[in-house]
Amino acid sequence: MEQLLDAALFSSTLRVVTPILLAALGGALCSRVGLFNVALEGFVLVGAFSGIVGNYLFGNVWLAVLFAVLCVMFFSLIFGYMSINLNANPIVVGISLNFLATGMTTFLLRAIFNVKGAYYDSTMVGLPKWDIPVIKDIPWIGEVISGQSPLVYLAFILMGVLQFYLFKTVSGFRLRSVGENPVAAQSIGIKVRKHQYTAVLACGVLCGLAGAQLSLGQVTMFTEGMTAGRGFIALVATMLGQANPLGVMASSLLFGFMDAFGIRLQGLAIPSHFTNMLPYIVTLIAMFFFKDRSYLKDANKAGGSSR
Amino acid sequence: MSIIKQNLRGLIQPLIAVVIGLIAGAIAILAVGGSVTETYMEMWKGAFGSFYFLTNTLARATPIILAGLGVALAFRAGFFNMGADGQMVLGGLSAALTALYFPGPGWVVLLASIIAGIITGGLWSFFAGWLDAKFGMNLLITTLLLNYIATLFTGYMVAYPFMDKTGSAAMAQSEMIEQSVWLPKLFQGMGLHAGFIIAIVAAVLLHFFMKKTTMGYEIRMLGSNPLFASYGGVRRGRMMMIAMLVSGGFAGLAGAGEVLGTQYRFLDGSLTSANYAWSGIMATLLANSHPLGTALAAILLSALQTGAMGVERNTDVPLEVASVIQAVLTLFVSARIGYTFWKRRKGKQKNGTTT
Repeated sequence: MEQLLDAALFSSTLRVVTPILLAALGGALCSRVGLFNVALEGFVLVGAFSGIVGNYLFGNVWLAVLFAVLCVMFFSLIFGYMSINLNANPIVVGISLNFLATGMTTFLLRAIFNVKGAYYDSTMVGLPKWDIPVIKDIPWIGEVISGQSPLVYLAFILMGVLQFYLFKTVSGFRLRSVGENPVAAQSIGIKVRKHQYTAVLACGVLCGLAGAQLSLGQVTMFTEGMTAGRGFIALVATMLGQANPLGVMASSLLFGFMDAFGIRLQGLAIPSHFTNMLPYIVTLIAMFFFKDRSYLKDANKAGGSSR
Repeated sequence: MSIIKQNLRGLIQPLIAVVIGLIAGAIAILAVGGSVTETYMEMWKGAFGSFYFLTNTLARATPIILAGLGVALAFRAGFFNMGADGQMVLGGLSAALTALYFPGPGWVVLLASIIAGIITGGLWSFFAGWLDAKFGMNLLITTLLLNYIATLFTGYMVAYPFMDKTGSAAMAQSEMIEQSVWLPKLFQGMGLHAGFIIAIVAAVLLHFFMKKTTMGYEIRMLGSNPLFASYGGVRRGRMMMIAMLVSGGFAGLAGAGEVLGTQYRFLDGSLTSANYAWSGIMATLLANSHPLGTALAAILLSALQTGAMGVERNTDVPLEVASVIQAVLTLFVSARIGYTFWKRRKGKQKNGTTT
């Protein structure tokens, strides 16, 4: 057990969790304004791809992150326009945007880099690893927390910022009111659409960062469909955390920990199939225990499975 | 007359979408410096150009039709079943195992395998429906999660207990099924097998089921106006479980058909990497969950996919251009579908979000 739960395990948990957490925070913002965003998977995929493209074009990792954020913001505008202006069912739009993201990235991968499946360039510089001055000298904690990519720290800072924004500021309260009761919000002069667009665009920014962490963080490469369901896991984290940033973080950490733990268990001669299954099973069990009917109803109102 | 009109109206929307999709494809082709007419000619030839290519397209369409029909049924009832992928691989695996180990003459085993595939897919899907109806766990999420579990489980089954150890290839696959259990090919030397006929019959049957039976009516009512349905005495939870059972059954049948008609064994990843289930969901979205329309849309999507292979063989344009076309036309249609969905919902939820 000692060897199973060492510092490296928690350090890799943080790495695994970052894209999920960022996307899930975006999802939480969207559900706070009454849009159930199934397109997170596609958003993150576009972010990951445009991160690599940005790096290729500009040769600078920060510009690449910026480029990823801008691309996903544009992509999220499609989601916003269709579900807010055209009144399309957000779930249906989300599903088709996921198709579009997969189709576009595989096509552009061929068109731009002329490769199939994956693009990797060893000269490309990924996100740096930051050592935090004092913390890195603390024995166990330093090993876990220090030496991560800046986006890892940013994710947790953004979580705090969002928690504060949503529950302690007037503007955050207005944003929440849009999701709670649009009619009431409208009647006291809150611009419903403006808040919805703000949330969708912010979701785009967060998913762009998530994608950049995925393709530029640990390894500097893009593979077809490299999100591998992380966007959907983020969606689960959003629901489990009841669109509450702290809760979203807790459920993302649960999944990330299980993911990292599963990889660790492979050392014990358990077939990788079962260890890879672990996070999904644990998530299902968590869904069973932590469900909030009132929040579910909100999601349903937004066109969930149980309209 | 009105029936013809109604069916025509159902066709116009997908047709416009196809045109838009082709325009998007043309832009993509121009972007990589290809010739639009030449590419589309090659695409047509690759999909329908000869009898061989035609049967190839229809063979590929078979699992897409079946998976799409299952999803269409669930969508009609208002349930977002995203788990066709998992239901399909489980159906395929259990069909393969039944075909390998069930005793009896060939046709009995074949029948048993198909039924096993349907039941397994159905039960897996039913599980998700049960979780939602009983415990309020969101169906869309559970079906997505169950996909991963099903895919990994089938992978384990053919990588360890049922792995093919007879051949030299160390691949995660089951043993080859005996020839007497195979679904017969419709034409000598062509890929098209009897599963296609099953799929078409299933589409027609589902169409009449939805149109003519009480239960079909209840399902449509539940999807279009849940409040009215519950007022009329439709029990949503029960209906959800039944709809999911049947929906998964179709997906399971799709997997069984692929295993018994094309691959003759269960090969890990062969069903998921071909994207049959997701193409089925696309077909459903394109056809607005209309069973016959879903079958047509499935053939169209399959034609795009096989056609793109022809493009890849004969021009410099990459075959991924097909996925761009598919995605754009799905997106275009979805906006319209969404509109009708919304109109139906408006009655019960009159809030001012849109003004």
